[in-house]
Amino acid sequence: MRFQPILRRAFLVMAVGVAASFVAGAPAFAASPAEDYVQNNINKGLDILNNKQISTDQRRSQFEGFLLGLTDMKRIADFTLGQYRRTASPADLAAFEGAFQNYATAVYQSYFSKYAGQSMKVTGSQARTPDDFIVVTQLIDPNDHSGQQPLEVDFRVRTDTGKPVVVDFSVAGIWLALNERDQFTSFLGQNNGNIPMLVSHLAELAKQFRNG
Amino acid sequence: MGFWRALTFVWCGLCLTACASAPPTPEMIANNDPYEPTNREMLQLNGKIDRYFVVPTVAVYFVLVPDPGRRAVHRFLENLSLPTTFVNDILEGQLKRGGQTAARFAINTTIGFGGFLDPASHMKIPDHGEDFGVTLGVWGVGEGPYLVLPFLGPSNARDAFGLAADVGLDPTNQIPFKQHIWWDAGRYYFTVLDLRGQTFQTVQTIQRSSIDYYTALRGFYRQLRANAVRTVRPDKKLQDLPDF
Repeated sequence: MRFQPILRRAFLVMAVGVAASFVAGAPAFAASPAEDYVQNNINKGLDILNNKQISTDQRRSQFEGFLLGLTDMKRIADFTLGQYRRTASPADLAAFEGAFQNYATAVYQSYFSKYAGQSMKVTGSQARTPDDFIVVTQLIDPNDHSGQQPLEVDFRVRTDTGKPVVVDFSVAGIWLALNERDQFTSFLGQNNGNIPMLVSHLAELAKQFRNG
Repeated sequence: MGFWRALTFVWCGLCLTACASAPPTPEMIANNDPYEPTNREMLQLNGKIDRYFVVPTVAVYFVLVPDPGRRAVHRFLENLSLPTTFVNDILEGQLKRGGQTAARFAINTTIGFGGFLDPASHMKIPDHGEDFGVTLGVWGVGEGPYLVLPFLGPSNARDAFGLAADVGLDPTNQIPFKQHIWWDAGRYYFTVLDLRGQTFQTVQTIQRSSIDYYTALRGFYRQLRANAVRTVRPDKKLQDLPDF
């Protein structure tokens, strides 16, 4: 069972993958344009992560700006609430969406620097529906001589709004938004659906990561 | 005998889990985790064993054995697992992958000095792992309820049985020699050290970033195992993604 070695690189890719997520682009996608879209945005994110000409703080700032400028955190945040989305008040929902954005950017920024020098290559894609694509990439580590297959990272690209949006990505088969939904709904299930409590926890986690 | 000992251990763990659990809630059943309270307690217990025994032992291992030595131990242990991987490749009907596994084992065991070196990777022969839990999944057996096994961590009913079966399937366990139990103990001890050493930062990351570590681990495990089955059965790759 190769559970642990795969997870060793999982959080690296989450930092890089979120950078490539949720970007506006051209409508009416075939699979190949979805691949181009992912590759172009991966490259932008990796350029920021691998830029040694700027300080760590500047790199973090640029990375966060890139994420916030190009992401649709609201869509993912709403998904991760699961069944609690339907009964959430508008105020709770807005607070959660803000907390989720803060949490996601803080957590993945804290790990981006560990894997500088690595790259991603798009290797193909599959269309689940005419507006739902899975773009497959491989994480290339030039220093990895273990003989193991390169880590596969998949991006789920939706075009149902007319613009391509990455709504989730997976590392070695682990879909991030799905895992977050499991966690958040489990937490809410144990706490009587208390969204403000979840918001508070997310804020605390984000603070811990921002403080190192 | 190794298979029956392993199966007995796993069965005892399962019985303990079943006996100790309160009736499952509808949410637990929906999550296919009817033993969640016991699983959570087991995760906490495993965490204490990890914190007070395993991690300090790993720290000593890191101090006493330099990095090149630890990598050699890792390669040796990986090589030892290849016979089991080969058997499962064949059981899954993956003849090409089985051939690669056999080639890696032959090359690394001989010119790789028993597996301490890895010339097979330099020859670009790809590496992969297989186990009987995945084989059962390829055959169509469902994962069954989620379990957290003593010492061994996340699993499910299918994979727990598969774990025991792998002990029986491992050809190296069929070699009769007097000190077999000490060989087994040493091998599994160093496997724990090796795995824990490699996963220390990853586990820390999951613990720090999780709202609910138990649920995060459960989700990671399930998705990883499902992906391992899909790797062998690519026709199932797109089945289980929700729309959003």
